[in-house]
Amino acid sequence: MMKEGVIITKISIKQKGERKHFQIKLPMDTKFIIGVEYGGRLIDKPETVVVEPAPDDGGHTPTFFKRNQLIGELKLQSCEEANWFYSADVLANDVNLGLADFSKAGFPVNDFTHGNKRTEEIVKIDAESTIIQGWYLDALGKSVNADIKYEVNVYVWINVEE
Amino acid sequence: MLKATKKRFDIKILVANSTVSETFELEKNIVKVHGVLVTSDKDDLLYYRGTQKIEINKEEFFPDNYESKLLMSGINVSPKQRYYDLGGVAPGNGRVQILYKDLDDGRTVFAPYRVSLYLDCEMEDEL
Repeated sequence: MMKEGVIITKISIKQKGERKHFQIKLPMDTKFIIGVEYGGRLIDKPETVVVEPAPDDGGHTPTFFKRNQLIGELKLQSCEEANWFYSADVLANDVNLGLADFSKAGFPVNDFTHGNKRTEEIVKIDAESTIIQGWYLDALGKSVNADIKYEVNVYVWINVEE
Repeated sequence: MLKATKKRFDIKILVANSTVSETFELEKNIVKVHGVLVTSDKDDLLYYRGTQKIEINKEEFFPDNYESKLLMSGINVSPKQRYYDLGGVAPGNGRVQILYKDLDDGRTVFAPYRVSLYLDCEMEDEL
């Protein structure tokens, strides 16, 4: 019988434009890699840096579309296969959740109150090799020209034979 | 007859950067656990600072350091779809363990908060 599991890998970023190569070790009985998702945590926030745009305070019209903060780029590759099997822009919270909300009902729109359910991105990769090569490039520090300390967590969902 | 029921278990986080572990017990007539959801009275703190491990019947479903934000659903999600689908787990001994970790995040200021673990269960009407 197949069972699902998840492997969590932390990538720690300390400098602007930092590039990290990392490996994710899968259990020997892994059959497939079935999904990937990511999360993160800001460890140190320099005073001058605005990491996330504030929720819409009425300064713009509710239909004004804002750009999400790009945190970095993440790519994963299985040792058995050529080319990346997962490549994603790591983004901060969705700042357009309140787009076209004209109610101004005193209930500010945030990811933690109005956010959608988070689900992993589905991939289907043979796990004959138990090592995944990963690559991450910081964009947050570069965009504000400062060293920002943060962690990115990479979640690799796997199918394990019981 | 089987019927759907929701269970809620609360833990209190009183100190910043602390770890809280609690074990709860489900009723004996619960036959399946279909879903899991976490919420809080200060949901920004749970969203940015929280990670947890969840075990049911000593089987780990979410490992250590699994971020709470991945198990949260906002009010934009319809009520029937808010739970993370576990696919109908047999509760076994009925023990549900949560190991919750609070970690500083540059976007929040700590204040004591409550974390609620909701389980979407199926129970037998009569034992």
